[in-house]
Amino acid sequence: MKGWTGYILRVNLTDKTWKKESFTEEFAQKWVGGRGFAAKILFDELKPGIDPLGPENKLVVALGPIAGIPAPNTGKVVVAAKSPLTGFYGDGNLGSRVSDQLRKAGYDALIVEGKADKPVYLNIEDDKVEFLDAAEMWGKGTYHSNEWIYAKYGKNVGVLNIGQAGENKVLYAVIRSLEGRAGGRPGIGAVMGSKMLKAIVVKGTKQIPQHDADLMRKLGVEGLKKARELDQKSGWSKQSTDAVLGWCNEVNGLPVQNMRHTSHPEAYKLDGEHLNDARIATYGCPSCTMHCGITIHDKEGRESELDYENIGMLGPNINVFDLKQVGSLNYLCDDYGLDTISAGAVLGFYGDAIERGAAKGDFKFGDAEKGKTLLWDIATRKGEAGNLLADGALRAAKVYGNNSADYAMQVKGLEMAAYNCKSIPGQALAFGVAAIGGHHREAWIITFELKHSKRESYGPEKAAKVIELQRIRGGLFEMLVACRFPWVEVGYELENYPKFFNAVTGLDWTLENFWTAADRAYSMIKLHYLREFPEVTRKDDYPPAVWFDKSNADTEGPQKGVVLEYDKYDSLLQHYYDQRGYDKRGIPTMETLKKLGLEAEAAAASKTAKLN
Amino acid sequence: MKVTVKLIGPLIYEGGFSERELELPGPMTAAELSAYVKIDQKRPTIITRNGKAAAPADVVKDGDRVVISHIYSGG
Ligand code: SF4
Repeated sequence: MKGWTGYILRVNLTDKTWKKESFTEEFAQKWVGGRGFAAKILFDELKPGIDPLGPENKLVVALGPIAGIPAPNTGKVVVAAKSPLTGFYGDGNLGSRVSDQLRKAGYDALIVEGKADKPVYLNIEDDKVEFLDAAEMWGKGTYHSNEWIYAKYGKNVGVLNIGQAGENKVLYAVIRSLEGRAGGRPGIGAVMGSKMLKAIVVKGTKQIPQHDADLMRKLGVEGLKKARELDQKSGWSKQSTDAVLGWCNEVNGLPVQNMRHTSHPEAYKLDGEHLNDARIATYGCPSCTMHCGITIHDKEGRESELDYENIGMLGPNINVFDLKQVGSLNYLCDDYGLDTISAGAVLGFYGDAIERGAAKGDFKFGDAEKGKTLLWDIATRKGEAGNLLADGALRAAKVYGNNSADYAMQVKGLEMAAYNCKSIPGQALAFGVAAIGGHHREAWIITFELKHSKRESYGPEKAAKVIELQRIRGGLFEMLVACRFPWVEVGYELENYPKFFNAVTGLDWTLENFWTAADRAYSMIKLHYLREFPEVTRKDDYPPAVWFDKSNADTEGPQKGVVLEYDKYDSLLQHYYDQRGYDKRGIPTMETLKKLGLEAEAAAASKTAKLN
Repeated sequence: MKVTVKLIGPLIYEGGFSERELELPGPMTAAELSAYVKIDQKRPTIITRNGKAAAPADVVKDGDRVVISHIYSGG
């Protein structure tokens, strides 16, 4: 087998043991890597109903066949576990040198089991694994622990670490790397914390096995050059992802005040132009020539690395329009290891609940200083509000009552990213059917909706577009484990990716093979969901009720009076199910599962839930 | 005829401004306005007029707010 190392490293924290396990070529080709590996491994190894924060949950770090090999933009890893936030499979990707170091150590994935009896970190060096005391790092933020590791091991090692939020099992704690990157929105950092695992350090010295390393080197170098040229030509990285903020504001798609409003006259203060003007440095992931991380000095003078999602959710979503203050809120989330999207959504939800009289508290929209205090309270679960808000918007809503769940901006428990879709049906669907809950990573179709369809359409073309993008963004990129930005943002051609894959594996895949693999991974995740929630209904794929609420419509502007319509949304959802081969609950039918070669998984799921 | 043109993202460096009120020499379509403000016509763009999507052939009217943006893909 070429391309894959063929090995998984399994580590048990309870009894401090580890072993190197091989996998078959059939497994490799069926699941490709990254999300595919993680979804399959966790399905096979986790019993439904386990406590996601108990020792029986497993943390999977998974790579793909081009991960860690220089090409656009392959310096990413997928982290996954049963999510404590959503209650089923959850994952995320982040830039990290673990991508190349773990592969050079000889592994395509790492599985962490059990729970240590005191804070530890793992040090993996090729065939050696050490379980080391993390007392000096425990209780500290991610900047401190990452620096502590660099001081001890040098800057070339791969690092994954958590902050106080992960240690305190905040349900939307992330895993961090490279002092600037974060991933695992549905609480994968909390799973790491529940295992008393502060950090993972990886160093590898072997060669990654490749079918034709010379060809891959040539393709990879050409690709990196091309991605850079395309970026420079389009000017994308001048403002990076934040360029979209001004546009969302103009087309009434910005999250303002817990997504109650869709634009704000002061939003321009946070747009890409202002971010670029405030830039003090630029950072990126390994193997990337587009470097999208723009840092500014925050209100306290620290370096804070911003992108659109964290600006959108920690800015307009809580009515903070001072870029430096947004920078401060973002810095604190990064240091504590809180997901910025969920943190912004939770603060927005809390402000909204107080305004509606459903909750008591002294946080008001626009109060960045109080927001900073709250972030610490959340990260350390301090006080009643901090402890409750640490469980995410939906759980807090259930405690507050008063129809609060209607205003919790989440799907399946995962807070939605920074797009206000009450008048954008296709993107509302994209959130509704995202594999792991309200995520933007898998499909983003707003410009398509406006330019190539009609904004108000609930037609099958929008369901088709969501599926097309899920296959590419949530499938191809998450399974190969590479950043999607060269393709999505600057137009680097998709056809290059099978070329990379074929060069390293010696196979002869086309994009079609990836679409099948992607559909298989999506169905696998759906079976996770079914197994955890056998009473699943199509309502689980609906966005929050407030987006359907006429009294919440814009009161002026081009989208005045427009909200989502239940019947039409339901028919759009049905288009999606029909095109996907899912039943009326949104679960793949037996026929679909069979087509994807998932008979064994279907049989396993059928033991506790019904398949049609 | 006066219109306000707002450029988004990297287009501001191409057009040389971020937002400007312009006195147009005569009637123009959305596509002609985009060329008039020196946006590379080979670049994939999306144009909105008063917050709603505009086709390239849509005629711009006095008092309109026209936003020209690179096509984004939502990060
Ligand atoms: S474009 Fe941004 S997120 Fe993607 S690899 Fe480069 S720095 Fe990382």
